[in-house]
Amino acid sequence: MRNFLLSLLCLLVTTATLSAQNRVTGNITDEDGVPLIGVNVLEAGTSNGTISDFDGNYELSVADGSSLEFSYTGYEVQTVVVGSQSVIDMVMAEGVNLDEVVVTALGIERKKRALAYSVTEIDGGDVAVAKEINVGNALAGKVAGVNVSNPSTGPGGSTRIVIRGNGNIAGNNQPLIVVDGVPINNDNLGSAGMWGGQDWGDGLSSLNSDDIENISVLKGNTASALYGYRASNGVILVTTKRGKKGQGLQVELNSNFQAETFVDNYDFQREYGHGLNGAKPTTEAEAFAQGLQSWGGRLDGSSVIQFDGQSRPYSDAGDNLDRFYRTGKTWTNNVSLSGGGENVGYRFSMTNLDNQGIMPNSGLDRNTFSAAVNGSSGKWLGSLTGTYVKEEAKNRPRLSDSPGNANYTAWSLPPSININDLKGDPNKLGADPDTGFELQFNDNVFVTNPWWGTHQFAANNEKDRLYGNASLGYEFIPGLILQGKVGIDRFTERRTNLTPYGTAFSNLGGINESNRTVQEVNLEATLRYNTDINENIGLDVIVGGNQQKNEDETLGANGSNFNVPFLHNVKNAANQSVSYGFSRYQVNSLFGQAEVSLFNSLYLTATVRQDWFSQLTDPSGRDSENSILYSSFGAAYDLAEGLGDGLPDFIDFAKLRASWAEVGGATDPFQLGLNYGIVGQGHLGIPLGSISNGSVPAAALVPSTSKELEFGADLRMFKGKVNLDVAYYNRETVDGILSASISSTSGYGSKTVNVGKISNKGIELLLTLNPVRTTNFRWNVSINYAHNDNEVVSLLTPENDGEEIRLEESRTRNAYIHLVEGLPYSQVMGFSYVRDGSGNIQLDDDGLPQQGELMAFGTGVHPNSLGINNQFSIGDFNVGFLVDIKTGGKIYNATNAYGYFRGLHKATLEGRESGIGAVLPENVEDYYQRIAFGISEEFIDDADFAKLREVVIGYRVPRRLLQNAPVSDVTLSFAARNLLILWSKTDNIDPESTYTNGNGQGLEMFGVPVTRSYGLNLNVKF
Amino acid sequence: MKFFKNKILLLLVALLAVQTSCDDGFAEINTNPQAAINIDPNFQMSFVQLRTSGGRYENWRAGLIYSSMMIQHMSALCGYWTGDKYTYNGGYSSSLIDRAYNEQVKDMQDLINTLESGTAGDQTMLGMARIWRVVIFHRLTDMYGDIPYSEAGKGFLESIDFPKYDSQESIYMDMLNELEQAVGQIGDGGFGSADFIYGGDAAQWKKFGNSLMLRLAMRLSEADPSTAQAWVSKAVAGGVMDSNGDDAFIQHTNGPEGINRNGIGEVLDASNGFGDSCPRLSATMVDLLKETDDPRLQIFGLPAANTGEYAGMPNGLDETLIQDNPTGTSVDDFSRINPAIVLVESPMMFMTYAETEFLLAEAAVRGWGASDAAGHYAAGVTAAMNMWAHYDASLALDAGAVADYVAANPLDEANALEDIGEQYWLATFLNEYEAFSNWRRTGFPNLTPVNYPGNVTNGQIPVRLATSPGEGSLNPNFQEAATRQGLGTDFSSHMSVPVWWDK
Repeated sequence: MRNFLLSLLCLLVTTATLSAQNRVTGNITDEDGVPLIGVNVLEAGTSNGTISDFDGNYELSVADGSSLEFSYTGYEVQTVVVGSQSVIDMVMAEGVNLDEVVVTALGIERKKRALAYSVTEIDGGDVAVAKEINVGNALAGKVAGVNVSNPSTGPGGSTRIVIRGNGNIAGNNQPLIVVDGVPINNDNLGSAGMWGGQDWGDGLSSLNSDDIENISVLKGNTASALYGYRASNGVILVTTKRGKKGQGLQVELNSNFQAETFVDNYDFQREYGHGLNGAKPTTEAEAFAQGLQSWGGRLDGSSVIQFDGQSRPYSDAGDNLDRFYRTGKTWTNNVSLSGGGENVGYRFSMTNLDNQGIMPNSGLDRNTFSAAVNGSSGKWLGSLTGTYVKEEAKNRPRLSDSPGNANYTAWSLPPSININDLKGDPNKLGADPDTGFELQFNDNVFVTNPWWGTHQFAANNEKDRLYGNASLGYEFIPGLILQGKVGIDRFTERRTNLTPYGTAFSNLGGINESNRTVQEVNLEATLRYNTDINENIGLDVIVGGNQQKNEDETLGANGSNFNVPFLHNVKNAANQSVSYGFSRYQVNSLFGQAEVSLFNSLYLTATVRQDWFSQLTDPSGRDSENSILYSSFGAAYDLAEGLGDGLPDFIDFAKLRASWAEVGGATDPFQLGLNYGIVGQGHLGIPLGSISNGSVPAAALVPSTSKELEFGADLRMFKGKVNLDVAYYNRETVDGILSASISSTSGYGSKTVNVGKISNKGIELLLTLNPVRTTNFRWNVSINYAHNDNEVVSLLTPENDGEEIRLEESRTRNAYIHLVEGLPYSQVMGFSYVRDGSGNIQLDDDGLPQQGELMAFGTGVHPNSLGINNQFSIGDFNVGFLVDIKTGGKIYNATNAYGYFRGLHKATLEGRESGIGAVLPENVEDYYQRIAFGISEEFIDDADFAKLREVVIGYRVPRRLLQNAPVSDVTLSFAARNLLILWSKTDNIDPESTYTNGNGQGLEMFGVPVTRSYGLNLNVKF
Repeated sequence: MKFFKNKILLLLVALLAVQTSCDDGFAEINTNPQAAINIDPNFQMSFVQLRTSGGRYENWRAGLIYSSMMIQHMSALCGYWTGDKYTYNGGYSSSLIDRAYNEQVKDMQDLINTLESGTAGDQTMLGMARIWRVVIFHRLTDMYGDIPYSEAGKGFLESIDFPKYDSQESIYMDMLNELEQAVGQIGDGGFGSADFIYGGDAAQWKKFGNSLMLRLAMRLSEADPSTAQAWVSKAVAGGVMDSNGDDAFIQHTNGPEGINRNGIGEVLDASNGFGDSCPRLSATMVDLLKETDDPRLQIFGLPAANTGEYAGMPNGLDETLIQDNPTGTSVDDFSRINPAIVLVESPMMFMTYAETEFLLAEAAVRGWGASDAAGHYAAGVTAAMNMWAHYDASLALDAGAVADYVAANPLDEANALEDIGEQYWLATFLNEYEAFSNWRRTGFPNLTPVNYPGNVTNGQIPVRLATSPGEGSLNPNFQEAATRQGLGTDFSSHMSVPVWWDK
């Protein structure tokens, strides 16, 4: 390792002058003579290149005997032998670039035309202007078949990305994230469940959009097959920005400000105030007991007592959410230095992101430092990249259940109560000024004063993360390259979770402090040979090995019951305990890939990989099936080359492709065998011991496997004006390893099993149109459509004959997310009304509706998505807007269930004056409360939506205005996200309001509201 | 070039080397350094006993919010104290059964399996463990009727993911047999100091086993009197508890962790940082205590904050209804539970000598293998008065005062079962599950139900707790048991359906 780094260092400091250099300059225009800006000019066969400036000029130093390659989106690639020329002007012809390269598995760049599978690339600029703190969210609506959910968890929360549908019954369904060729951790560090909690962020939230050059999405199994067991959910390859060799020093500043407001879907009743049985409270005690009940009298402006003994007008107290949530602000400032010498390119970048969330007193601060150096010396090639991220999240908001969850309370207040009246002590929000304890406003201690929740509770975490890799290659002969690579991703997460002294549900308070260290190291060696055997046969072969080692260790100190009031540290706690967690695993792999190209038209690719897992190795040393072999095959046929003139003229390019792959997934370590642990510190000096497994361990597990067949076509027509890429896939995942819910009366909540079969079939369509392409006006439309047909084919194995598996449960305890045989993944389950033969709701003797059977109401995952992205260039302006449409999913609207329970929902107005059937007006709450937590059918909504997801308006200052300025390029953009909900069917909530990024999607409950953001981005290059 | 050729060779050799040992050391890597493959039976028995005492979760919900309210030991105005008003909260109602199998039954079955296999421990341990298993299961079936029993807690041992529901009748028959066999197994050996109940005392365990048999047998007095009589006689002949020193309880401590604390204390002990301030002593209980000048009034409660007088709060009220209540219009007009008996370090009672005496008195009244009902009754009352010394020495009552009370309140032979039922009810204060069960069986004391708007029992006191709809929909065996017991699709209606022994 040390030698390796030394060699790399030597390589970088060597400024070799191996061959004579020629300086070439020139001007690039289109066929109308209009200068083209940003044309890529590359010394063929090298990474030496530059781009044309505003006036179409370029300048590049190249070696003797080299050629220049000019490429520009929408234009044909041109290649010119330099020879003795020092000025080469170029006129670019509209057309199709057939030699585009894309980044594929292991970071290997391959020609797009040779690929037997679908890969979608996103330019870094597309996620850098209309920013999201978690870059994953910025992918929403942009790639066919990539389903991004952004849980309502506040800034720095996790995102959920699922490609081509959920395939794993349990465990991870999200793609592998690879940065510059090395996998990074994307574990969710904790999310809310039915009992509340916070989202503690994920691995993607550390990525800095300003450093991203491009993102390549490997959707299918074939595309990701070289990743073996990590491939079954697809792969997202992130390539970070590099300095270009031969380019002078460039300083770039990017400054982005975004304001953020909550999307107000709140539409609860404003006619009846706090109280019960249709009556206003008359005593302080009564008002306190009814602090969360909106079953009182009609608001009439009379003076009515409230929880604090004060009488206030019994009238609409106004918009509490508007008072409570503030305007969020995010500043992102990036400065980068990049450039390169003859053989070296470098880039250094620093980014500060400073966020204040819409939730009072919450925010995120993220500092990113990254460095990338790449270079070559003779036959040596090397690169070194490293990113250090420090992410500090302040007060990650509590979600779902009520304790400490300010959202819960803010949404539950009766219309006659003003949230500002709960502020209490102005110097200690949410506290009773006399005692310093939580100012309670109702008799349920678990419904926390919202200001106490935001200002006195603490849920902070600080992440220090370092990831990067070093690689060194040697080219023995042209085309034969040996490469070694070391990648590391290590982070420590320091977390503080405080329930303060004086909290109603825990008067003496408590604190949990923890420190978690997660590390993954990958060692990889590859040997690649790329050659043309003759003019008709090309060969590209790669063999290699990888060793992956992971460790995860958590040390915690917990205290409860503070001795000295309000002194919140562990040592001040009357009860102290420590916790410790540890896991580790290792996977060793060997892999290879061979691509044969025949007659420049037929491309055949095969891959093979064998993985050995420690997780599947029996700890007692008994023989266990701990390895698996994966393979893939693909073929791509270029019709234009193959058939020559057989194709109509308007077709520029046509490719058919087909592929098949088998890949897999593994599981967590330490799952084989029953273990016992010592419980706590004993009792009365006696040790306590018990089974530590909450899930029945499996006797033996096999890795899950996923097989996918993919067909596709890539068509480019009318000189690139119409481009169509279609894909059909059919994937089956079998033997998923999961913790299946079993009856708790078995003693265990779940069982670790290899079960089932899940099928995902679907089509993806990407249509790109360039209808107008004139000098001053360009219009580009890109439409991506995807349909995924998911089915849980079977959950059956001989020892586990349950037909349903429970993934999640709502806090209301009458809605669930199940996997149900024969139905799509993530079924939203609820109890129906009891109905008579003709479907009418049947009431019981008291005139109340009755809880019927538990039924599946549909999947919580949208099967259909449509993204429509329009881009206009008008002179120096460009305008883009993205409409994101998803349909077919369901969501359980717990906000409405509570709205029924507390008399807040508008539907509960019916009958307050006249009663409902046999139910008297004063008892009308019995009717609605029966529905609220009994009949979940009422609250399962269609989650379909169409949103104006993104709008960007950019203005690039014309070059002529900058002639005497010290800057070379200035772009000012307006960017907005989630600007409008064009269409949705969920009342009171946003249809995307889930609170977890786990597999069980489709439950909503009092998350941080979805936000709309708008702001400015200024980019300056010097 | 030669140099590099060698390097290629080296790489290939390296790759080959990796291939021949691709899983070297993997068994060790996959060994959890934090866990053990075996456990000392002593550790596990200690754990199960402590867990049976229960956590805050189920003691609060099934124990206090439902049981203590329904049987009118306590009362509360707060809406979420659903047992006071016979309203339905699914999660509260099923809280005990939701937790017990995972926290108690799982390790209990595992321990018994280990002891039965003879790989560790001894026969005495096995006998004691089997008795303890009955402690766990009889409480569950009493509260919930038909439950998983014979197949329960065997998710790992026998790969039973969805245990069948056994009928309460069959569970009772088996538990009685279990007790008989278990008591017979106890001899030398045992758990020693790891046994929190008796410190390993074999004689006390035998008495406990027989006393439990007496309790279970008497539970069948209405459903199957002849079986009840046979087992009552057997229990009495075997020898039951004969002093407060035989009381079966666990002494809790204030921490260091949750498992060490008394679950009831975790709800009500304000000095520990959380005190649910809703409950008060019920008017039903305070009135009875006052009627006989019972010295336990001072042990059970505090004078009301507003008045300085002892007063019980009527059940079935809320903040609105209390304003028309003649005995007081504020919650602070009524007596709180005495903090000294609901501390996090308070003991948790499973069965007492006092209860045993009352069961013997009842056996005598019924003529089932015992005689001298009045004597047993007097001994029971005396023991019930003195048992509070377990909670705190300062709660020991003056012997003279106890004797005076006993003398002044002898068993009324004409209303013997009612007297016994009332005293049993007082003796099981804070053992709310048992109080609820015995009341359902005997109908004593005579409780007047409340009729709160929105109650789910038609104004009758619930006669069982409903299991969770979650388990109902997950376990395919549930439906058969529901049909068998006459339980409908609406889980709130289950609370009105008596269990098998409740005739």
